[in-house]
Order: sequence, then structure tokens, then C-alpha cells
Amino acid sequence: MPATAIAEAGPAPAVTPPVTPPSFGTLTLRWYRLNQGRLRATAIGVISLITFLLVWHLLTTYRVVFFVRFTNVPSPLAVYASFAKAIHDPRFLMHIVLSCRRIFIGFSLAAVVGVPLGLIMGRFKLVHEIIFPVAEVLRPIPAIAWVPMAIMLWPTNEQSIVFITFLGSFFPILVNTLHGMSLVDPVLVRAAQCLGARERSIFREVYFPASLPHIFTGLTIGMGVAWVSLIAAEMISGQYGIGYFTWEAYSLVQYADIALGMIAIGVLGLGSSLLIRGAGHLVMPWRSTR
Amino acid sequence: MSEMLASKPKGHIEVRNFSLSYDSIEGPVQAVTDTQIHVNPGEFVSIVGPSGCGKSTLLNAVAGFLKPTTGIVTVDGERVNGPSAERGMVFQQYSLFPWKTVRENVEFGLKMRGMARSQRERAARTLLGLAGLEAFEKHYPEKLSGGMKQRVGIVRALATGPKVLLLDEPFGALDAQTRVIMQQILTNMWQRLKISVLFVTHDIDEAIFLSDRVYCMTARPGSIKAEIPIPLERPRQQSMMMSSEFLALRRGLMSLIREESLKAMGGEINDLGMQGLNIELHGHSLADVI
Repeated sequence: MPATAIAEAGPAPAVTPPVTPPSFGTLTLRWYRLNQGRLRATAIGVISLITFLLVWHLLTTYRVVFFVRFTNVPSPLAVYASFAKAIHDPRFLMHIVLSCRRIFIGFSLAAVVGVPLGLIMGRFKLVHEIIFPVAEVLRPIPAIAWVPMAIMLWPTNEQSIVFITFLGSFFPILVNTLHGMSLVDPVLVRAAQCLGARERSIFREVYFPASLPHIFTGLTIGMGVAWVSLIAAEMISGQYGIGYFTWEAYSLVQYADIALGMIAIGVLGLGSSLLIRGAGHLVMPWRSTR
Repeated sequence: MSEMLASKPKGHIEVRNFSLSYDSIEGPVQAVTDTQIHVNPGEFVSIVGPSGCGKSTLLNAVAGFLKPTTGIVTVDGERVNGPSAERGMVFQQYSLFPWKTVRENVEFGLKMRGMARSQRERAARTLLGLAGLEAFEKHYPEKLSGGMKQRVGIVRALATGPKVLLLDEPFGALDAQTRVIMQQILTNMWQRLKISVLFVTHDIDEAIFLSDRVYCMTARPGSIKAEIPIPLERPRQQSMMMSSEFLALRRGLMSLIREESLKAMGGEINDLGMQGLNIELHGHSLADVI
């Protein structure tokens, strides 16, 4: 019991002067114990990825046919070979850069329009009543279904692809912002009013920061859907872009490039969600201390 | 700060011919009826009553969140028509802004008033020092214990130098020991600042220990059943709660409230409770089961 009593009494520096600094061995051991969970997860993750590659390798080397046919599926080594070639190919890099640019423009527009619109709709009932029905009708239409319409609407292919990317990410952003606004604790609004805050300050100091977590959920989902929409649009109507690259590889019977295109899309999608998550940590420091 | 501390008693609250009802499908529901209360400048007054009697409704009307159906609420002769920084409020749910640090929370009212950053930072530090919270100024509220959160809540409400402080069951969510400490802190601050306090609680001991006067409300529709002066001398010690004087006051208030609580529960059982019970008991009467 005395041990816990000292611990509860708080800082007692005089009682335990450090005799010798802990040795390197003890420090390593302590670090290991503290990070055991994370190390374990990393180790298992690495093993799982290696297993995936191994299974892929075996299925393709032995050309397994068991319901699905691996006869023409490229092996991981073949994909790596085409990757090694592609990174020196300016055309491949241009596909990637163009896709990223479309995502950047489409997604940014969606965020710049969707977030303020959601905030205003959440605050002013009339705006909500006017816009919500239209949004609800348009929302379930998948972005791919917009392709023919987009081609008619916009003078260039480039613009229609960006438009489709915009549409894909717009609705998740709008809906989540609205959801965040609807969940703002009314007691916090009252607290602000009692401290002399007027409408504008309440919007800036309470509604907006309170909705931020949901806004970022919307941005994350919106980014995912933006990639889905972009790739679909590029496959149908593009001349450049990583989606077009993947589809072209199929047409040109370059099977290794199909897998390369898919993996590139996956990596780019992952990278962009990580960027949004990082931005979220920067903007919401009170949540990252958890 | 010094000007705030040395100021004369202020904040005379008057509630006259007050009633408040709200609409429901069955017609208007009377929440509070025919109520007169007042708080003299510098006085500490509590309102106790059975749950649902409308004591929080009354407090919210003084804060300016609810408009009286009939009657008038004034503070220092001025009619209350909306929340203002002149009437600081402390909520049971703490209602600190999670996205602001402790100091930013305390600064909020001063910021709304347009005070310069450096000036309000200094003011907030001084106040946090008085509440023994200066070590936590950079923490986010989530990291604090309930008692600390509520100390911040009180300091935040006092930072703008309000005429009156309104507290809605502020210690209801705290454990017994913390509650006692918080009562002491509140008493100290009240005596120092010489402002009027209107305190809503369902805890009779708390009401007697803190107050100069206690209003006891009837069951819904709420009105004032009794007004009990508390002649205990100040400063009050925890040991006073065992004195015969205290216990006599407690017994008196207890029986008043029990009467009303029984009335409230009895009413419910007669109107609705029995029907509800019968459904749950699958047709057996309550007597059968007991």
C-alpha cells in the first residue's frame, strides 16, 4: 500500500533521486514493451502483404483455373518489370499527373462549394428547405451515369471529367457537413450566447468548429468517391489519365500494365486520403491529442 | 480585475407574475405558473423542487433563453429579452468548447466584447490562477476531470464581470467529495465578487449550505410553495451540516419537497403510469403482482 500512497500524493522529487541512468538494454526493453501493440500490428501487416504477393505469384505461375482463370493474369514479377519500365516513361507519368490534377480541381471545387453550402443549409431552414429536395433527387445518381450528360454539358472532355469528379465528391461532403451541423450541441450555442456572442461569432466559433469532425469525414469519403468517379470517367471518355491507361492496356493486350494501373490507382487513392487525414489533424488539434 | 473585485453589490433580479406555457398537440401545457421571485444585489438564492417542476425553465427565462408567457423578468430594472453577457450562466453539462483550450474558453466572453488578445490573455490567466487552474491553461477540456471542467465553466462565466451568475444544477454530475470542494470554491468566488447568484439544484443540503434564501417550488405546473431564509452565519464550515439548526432547516425543506414529489408521482401514476403498467404486466393488475 505505501507505494500507491506515494504515487497518489503526486510529485515527490526528493524521495527518489536518480542513482544511475538506465542502461541501453533497459531502455530498449522499455521501448519495446510500450510499443508492443504497434510492433505486433506492423509485423502482422507485413506478413499479410507478403503472403498476398506469394499467393498471387503461385496462382499466376501455375496458371490456376478454378472457377476463376489465372491463365492471362500477370505475375507480380511481370508487373514489377513493367513498373520499372513505366517510371522512366514520361507518358506514364503524364497519365498520373493528369489524373491527380483532375482530382485536385474536382475535389477542391466540391469542398469549396459543398462545405459552405452545408453550413448555410444547416443554419438557415429556408435554404435547407429549398435545396435539400433537389440534392436528395440528384444524390443517388452514380457519377458514372452522369458521363453522357456531362459530355453534352461541357465543351471539352477534360471539363466533363473534372465535372464528374466534382459530382462524385460533392454529395458526400455536403451531406456530412449538414449532418455535422445538425449534431451541434445546443447547450454550446447557449453558452456562447450567454458570453455575449452574436449570430456571426456563433457561426464562426461554435457551429463551424463543432461540425469540423463531420466535415472531415465527408472530405475523406468524398475523396474516395472522387477517385471512383474519375477512373470511370477516364475509362469511358478519356484520352489521358491513369484510368485511361488501365483500359488502354486491356485493349492493347498488355496485361501487366492492367495490374500496374490498378496498383497505381490504389496507391494514389491511399495517398490522397492520408493527406486529408493529416490536414484533419492539423486543423483539429483538440482531437489528435486523444 | 481589481475594479471587478472591488465593485459594489449589483444584480437585482425581479421575476413578477411569471408564467410560462408551451404548445403541444393537446393544447397549451403550463410549465410554470404565477411565480414571483427576487434576488437582492449580492444575495445567494437557490431554487429547489421536485424534478420537472420547472425550476430550470425559470432559470432559463432569467437567462433570456425563454420568453415568459405572462409576467416580466428584470435585472437592475432592465427588462430581460434575450441572453447577454451581463448574466453569466453555468450548465450542468459543463458546456466548455471542446475545440478551445482552457484559457481560450475563459477568454471567449472577453473576445466577444472585442478585447485585444494580449489583454484578454492576461485577464484569463489571472482568473485561472484564482481558481487554481493556471497549470492547465493549455489543456483541452477533454483532458480535465469533471470538477476541473466545472471550475473552468464558472471562471468562464465570471470572466466578463456579469451582474448575476445563474447556475443550473452545476454540481449534479460530480461525485460527493468534489461537490463539497466545488461548493467551497463557489462560495469564495461569490463573496469576493459580490455578485448575485441564482442557483438551481435538487440537492437540499447543497441549497441550505450555500444560500441566503431558498425557494421551494411545487410540482408541475411549478410555482413557489415556500420561501425559506437561511440564517446560518458565514463563513460556513462543512461541520455546520451536523448542527441542529442546519438539520431543522433540512427537515423542513425535506418534508416540503417530499409532499410535492409524491404529488408529482401520484399524478403520473393515476394518469399514465397505471395504463403503462397494465400493458407491461399483460393484463394482471398491479395488486396481483405486489
